[in-house]
Parts: sequence; structure tokens; C-alpha cells
Amino acid sequence: MDWYSYIIIGFILAGLFFASALYAFHWASKNGQFHELEKGACSIFDDEEPLGKQTDFFPGHK
Amino acid sequence: MSAADSNTDMRIKLSAIDQSMKWPALFFIISATLWLLAGTALGLISSYKMHNPNFLGNWEWLTFGRTRSAHLNAVIYGWCNNAIFAVGLWIMARLCRTEIRHLGLLIVAGIFWNIAITIGIAGIFIGDMTSVEWLEMPTYITPLLAIAYALIGVWGIIAFRYRQSEHIYVSQWYILGALFWFPWIYSVAQIMILFEPARGTVQSLTNWWFAHNVLGLWLTPMALAAAYYFIPKVIGRPIHSYYLSILGFWTLALFYNWAGVHHIVGGPVPAWVISSGIVASVMMVIPVIVTAINHHMTAIGHFRQVIESPTLRFVVFGAMSYTLVSFIGSTMSLRSVNEISHFTHLTVGHAHHGVYAFFTMIMFGSIYFILPRLLYREWPSKILITCHFWFAALGITIMIVTLHVGGWIQGLEMNNPEIPFIEVMKGTVPWLKARTVSGFFLAIAHLAFAINVFWIVFFRQGQKDVIGTPTLFASKQSR
Repeated sequence: MDWYSYIIIGFILAGLFFASALYAFHWASKNGQFHELEKGACSIFDDEEPLGKQTDFFPGHK
Repeated sequence: MSAADSNTDMRIKLSAIDQSMKWPALFFIISATLWLLAGTALGLISSYKMHNPNFLGNWEWLTFGRTRSAHLNAVIYGWCNNAIFAVGLWIMARLCRTEIRHLGLLIVAGIFWNIAITIGIAGIFIGDMTSVEWLEMPTYITPLLAIAYALIGVWGIIAFRYRQSEHIYVSQWYILGALFWFPWIYSVAQIMILFEPARGTVQSLTNWWFAHNVLGLWLTPMALAAAYYFIPKVIGRPIHSYYLSILGFWTLALFYNWAGVHHIVGGPVPAWVISSGIVASVMMVIPVIVTAINHHMTAIGHFRQVIESPTLRFVVFGAMSYTLVSFIGSTMSLRSVNEISHFTHLTVGHAHHGVYAFFTMIMFGSIYFILPRLLYREWPSKILITCHFWFAALGITIMIVTLHVGGWIQGLEMNNPEIPFIEVMKGTVPWLKARTVSGFFLAIAHLAFAINVFWIVFFRQGQKDVIGTPTLFASKQSR
């Protein structure tokens, strides 16, 4: 392939990739993902695996 | 607490999600374990050949160049990727609060992925390998790998698309990012180096941009996602500073992809390209410090929990290694340091520090958490877990220390024109022998791990009914 067309295609694709990252950041910001961070940090817990309880032990642990 | 279960009723139970992921996760974990054993054997053979070149030297398919490349590809594409497919997709499904559907297709894609790797490794043995490091598998398997990956990776994206959770947890950011980054770097490297080769040194730039990003934008985000999930989850307290974890993700996304070109410091490429790579490597200190503070501050004061939990032992070991290996990596990218460390065994030690002490240890920890929840069974042997941890921790520590010290001495000697090259090589032999010893340690650790995995999966008889033991906290309530 011609070297210059190669470079141009590369730059276009890389630019699109970068733009998609910017868009993701913009979307997350608009969507409120960066607000109420303490609530977000607790989102991995629920009543099956609640906050304040250890959930993994060696087998046979009492 | 109230924040966490405000909308619990609407969401699917974690145990139901675990069940939906059972078969694909089992398939990927077993494949990963088998590749780990194969990769270990190939690594041991390669290591032994370094100080005993005649060992198995009568077969051309077992010469050093082939076993070493087969080791690398078996470990990266066999062990690491299969482990990621199991752990990453499982965490993604849990955090998205959605069941993974159409599992048959996922398993078929997994089978094709493993067939492709097997053909690729066989291709390396019969002499079809390419000369491009980290892309040695012959190009005829690339289409199969690409299709298989696309069909596996898209599952993570589908889970994200149909998520039932409002908040996107930091692990989801890491996994989602990595699911896009890996196909991007892999296809660009394949095209620019092998299918439509770029001119001259651009190939080597692409090569190291790719190879470093497999670690930086694929293994690292997946392992960090697991660490950010399991450390708070097992201890039972939220991450120390959630703000910092988000900052860590975006700074990693911004800096890591520039760093790879530090592999060709001193090479015949424009100086500004190298300089920008060095700047990015040093900037990586930001996400690393952020992550280190977060993991340390979450685990601090919970040392007893770390000791009591197999998952935490491995994950915390991996998280601590991440801090250390990243600082060493940033230092190694500086020109003054690199002129000594380049072309020595230190680089090999550094690679194992990243892929093993950091990534692999976290994957071990994750699998210790996941498998009992998929099978509703307890790990059959406590001794094997302890054995696995200590042999792995000791083995990798010996390997890292010997290769770093031995490699540094080797680099100093190579820069000294008074010392003949052959003397420098002879000086490395004791360190290489110590590395083989460390390889045996790791082999014992992996055997212990594999026995435990096959025992829990295939030999149900004789295993205790686990309901009621604290390990399986979730299953206790759901049954």
C-alpha cells in the first residue's frame, strides 16, 4: 500500500479511537457517574454479600 | 448500607448471576489451568536450556528459540486470556446485575479460541513462527483468533449494554476499556507488522507499542478490575477513596499506551518518539500511586482477613507487586538506567514481575473466590491452597531478585570494554541456575493449584457439603 494512504488511514482510525474515549468521558460526566461517589463505592454490596462481612475464608474456617 | 440496597428488589441475585455464568466460567478456568501447566513446562525447559544448552538439543522443534516463544504464547494467549475471559466476564456480569444469555455461543467461541492457540503453538514448534516478539504464532491462525475474540469480548459489552445497575463501578470501567483496547492493539499490530508491513523501524515501534500494551491495556486493567472488586468485597468495606480509583482509571487510559516505545531506547528511531515514551512511563507514577494508596488504605488494619482468605492473600500480593513493578518500570525507562538494563536478564525478570507477581497472582486469587460460588462446593484441600500460595510467592520472589541482581551485574559488565563478552556470559550462569530453581517452585505451586481445581470440579464424591461454612456466604442464603 502507498505509504501516505497508510498513514492517513492510521491517523483517521486513531483519531476515531481517541474521540470515542473522549465521548465516553463526556457521557459518564453527563450521566452523573462522577457524582455521589460514596454511593458508587458501596454498589458492590447487597444483602447476599453485605457491607461489613468478610466473604472469603480458607476451607474449614469456623 | 441504605445506599447499597435501596433497589435490591429489582435486581437479580448475585447467586443467580453466578449460576448463569457457571458453564462458560468453568470452561475458561479449566482451559486456563491446562495452559498454565503447559506454559510452565515450556518455561522450565527454556530456563534449563539457558545454562545447559544441550538439554533436549537433538530435536529441532525443542530448540531454545521455539520453546521460549511457545512458552510466551502459551502463557499470554492460553493462560492469561482464558483467565481473563473467566474472571473479567464474571465480574462484569455481577456488576451489571445481569445474567449472561446464549451461553452456547460463548462456549463455542471459547473452544475456537483454544483450538486457534493450540494450532498456533504447534505452528511455532514446526517452524512456522514469525520473528515478531509477542506475535510469534503463525499468521494463518489470526482470523480464527480474531473471530473467536470478537465473539467472546462482545459478551462483556452486551452485559454492559443491558446492565440493571445505575452506577458504573470502577472495575466495569477497566473491563470495558480493556475489551476495546485489546482488539485494537492486536489488529493494528497484525496489520502493520505482518499483513501490510509498514516501513523499516515503524515495525519495531509498532511491535513494542503492541507488546507493552498487552500488559498495559489488557492484563493490567483486568487485574486492577479484579483487585478493585475483590479487596473491598472480601474485607466487607468500600474502597478507601472512590474518587481516586476513577482518577486512576482515566490517567491509566491516558498515559499507558504511550509507554511501550521505551523498549527501544537507544534504537534507530526518532529521539522525540522515545522521549515521549519516557515521559509517559514516568507519568504512569500517577495512576500507580493512586491505586497503591487506595488498595493499601482499604486493606490496612485488616491483616487478619488477608491471612484468613485465600483470595485476599493472592490479590493483595498482586496489588503490592503492581506498585513495585510499575515504579521499577518507570525507572527502567530512563535513558541512564536503560543503557545498563537493556539486553540483560533484568528485562526478563521485569516481565515476570508484571505478568506473574502482579497479574497471575490476582487471577489465582479471583479463581479461589469464583469457583466455589459456581459449584456450591468448598475447596477440597486447605493444604494445597497454602502450598500454592507459598511456593508461588517464594518462587516468583527468587526469580525476580536473581534476574534483577544478575541482570544488573550483566549490564554493568557489558558496558565495561575491559571484560570479554564470554566472561560476562559465564558470570550470568549462577543466576540462571537460580532462575531454574525458582521455576521448579512455581511448577510445584501450579501443580497444587491444578490438583485443587480438577478435584473441586470433577470429583464431587467425598467432598463435604459446604452449605453453612463461611466461605460460601452467598450460597448459604440463596438455598
